[in-house]
Amino acid sequence: MTDFSYKEPILTLRDISMQFGGEVILRDISLDVLNVVRPGLSQGQVVGFYGRSGIGKSVLCRIIAGLLPPTTGTVLVADPPRPVCPGDVGFVQQRYPLFDHRTLLDNLLVAAGRKHAPAEAKARAEDFLTRFDLAPHRRKYPAQLSGGQRQRAAIAQQLLCSEHLIILDEPFSGLDIAMIDEVKKIILEVTTLDELNTVVIVSHDLATTTALSDTLWLLGPERDAAGQCLAGATISKQHQYNLAQMGLAWQPGIQARPEFVQLIEHLKDEIRKT
Amino acid sequence: MLKDLFVPNAKPRPGVFLTMVACQVAFLLLLWLFYPLQLFPTLGEVVASFKDLVTTQGLIQELWASLTTALGALGIATVLALLISYLTALPFFRPIAYAASKMRYLTLTGLTFFMALMVSSGHQVKLSVLIFGATVYLVTGMTSVILTTTQEEMDHARTLGMSEWRSFYEVVVLGKLDEMLEVVRQNFAIIWTMITLVETLYQSEGGIGLLLYKQNRYLHLAGVVAIQLIILATGALQDYVFEFLRRTFFPYSELRAAK
Repeated sequence: MTDFSYKEPILTLRDISMQFGGEVILRDISLDVLNVVRPGLSQGQVVGFYGRSGIGKSVLCRIIAGLLPPTTGTVLVADPPRPVCPGDVGFVQQRYPLFDHRTLLDNLLVAAGRKHAPAEAKARAEDFLTRFDLAPHRRKYPAQLSGGQRQRAAIAQQLLCSEHLIILDEPFSGLDIAMIDEVKKIILEVTTLDELNTVVIVSHDLATTTALSDTLWLLGPERDAAGQCLAGATISKQHQYNLAQMGLAWQPGIQARPEFVQLIEHLKDEIRKT
Repeated sequence: MLKDLFVPNAKPRPGVFLTMVACQVAFLLLLWLFYPLQLFPTLGEVVASFKDLVTTQGLIQELWASLTTALGALGIATVLALLISYLTALPFFRPIAYAASKMRYLTLTGLTFFMALMVSSGHQVKLSVLIFGATVYLVTGMTSVILTTTQEEMDHARTLGMSEWRSFYEVVVLGKLDEMLEVVRQNFAIIWTMITLVETLYQSEGGIGLLLYKQNRYLHLAGVVAIQLIILATGALQDYVFEFLRRTFFPYSELRAAK
């Protein structure tokens, strides 16, 4: 098993609950994402996040991104921890929004300019264009980019101004095998940019996401002692899977291993139960 | 090729399309030339009337006078409407935009009296009526554009660390400027329908509306048709100019349109 240890928290959710018009959507969610340190490696981490459609994944993502204040509870980010504000956590929504009225370079500059002086912002934007293989398209408008280019641009834009945390909403949705490989490469590229970089992947593609992840969260309703579903979805302790400790993280070809296949079947069963 | 003209969403070649338009225009002209009931003035009568209007009644000067008045009114109305529409970001100002939008149901004849009491000259009355009429329509269109802003668009700006005002500026003001220009283009036509009314109320400054009124009054049908065609051509030219401005200043706008 790879040697690793955990350090300070990067993201903390404390007793998060959310109600809309009296209806409980999320209930008592508490969890930590800790900085994982591997000797000789400077790499961030990936958190996989599953849940059935309509269960409240998007609501939780918006809460984590600081876009929606929870009814109760706190989201803490950065070191030292402080309550999340919009802009602290990058959030790449499903349709990869960009500013359609700005060119690709302008889109990156406007993001980089939020945190850096103009000269440095330009240098960083240029660097990201090269890293994400977008340099030839710098003068194009978003409507002129392909789906893959648009996704890369949206990720780059969020990375330029977020505090190491980035949420990707359904990054594999509707993509063919080649494009999925491309997105996996981008996610790994993001985690290698900085040791603290943490990518949260919200996806229905269990196998692909699990293979990439260090940690898994499964959002679903809990049952009481009598077997009745409690109102609102949560991520219980038993549904927070530490794949690194299970020996199922950071290994190429992991998807072929029997333990991995077993885990996927277990996850499917758990999802069906919810 | 020709069958493309009758297939839904087909894209005929430009040459084929232009030929089709030319044929349709020629057909209309022929229909006009040989229209059997003769209720409508003939093409020859309209052309003759047009010449007469240009040479003896100063059609071009009158058109210019109306056009400058219309453009002036549109410019001021656009600034006012943008201001009122953008202020809807603040809940305090939303009732103003709502009320302004509903005022398009008011009749202008009833308004001119109040305008006359408020301003000093006939020109100002004319201009203020036009500005009022255009503003209420523009506010309606512009607030509709603002309401198309999605949660996703605003969230996107916020995740980049933009404040609420900066997000509004980026997404609504900058992001929808091209659509605002389109609203102005569409509503410019309303000024032409109002100009006839205001020019007849204040006849001292002339204008194409007054000319049309006179032709109508003396049952010069050929003259009426000639002036209407001139207004139609001016409107088409205006549309073209607005399209040109949109393509020049907002090149991304065309890229978003369905093809």
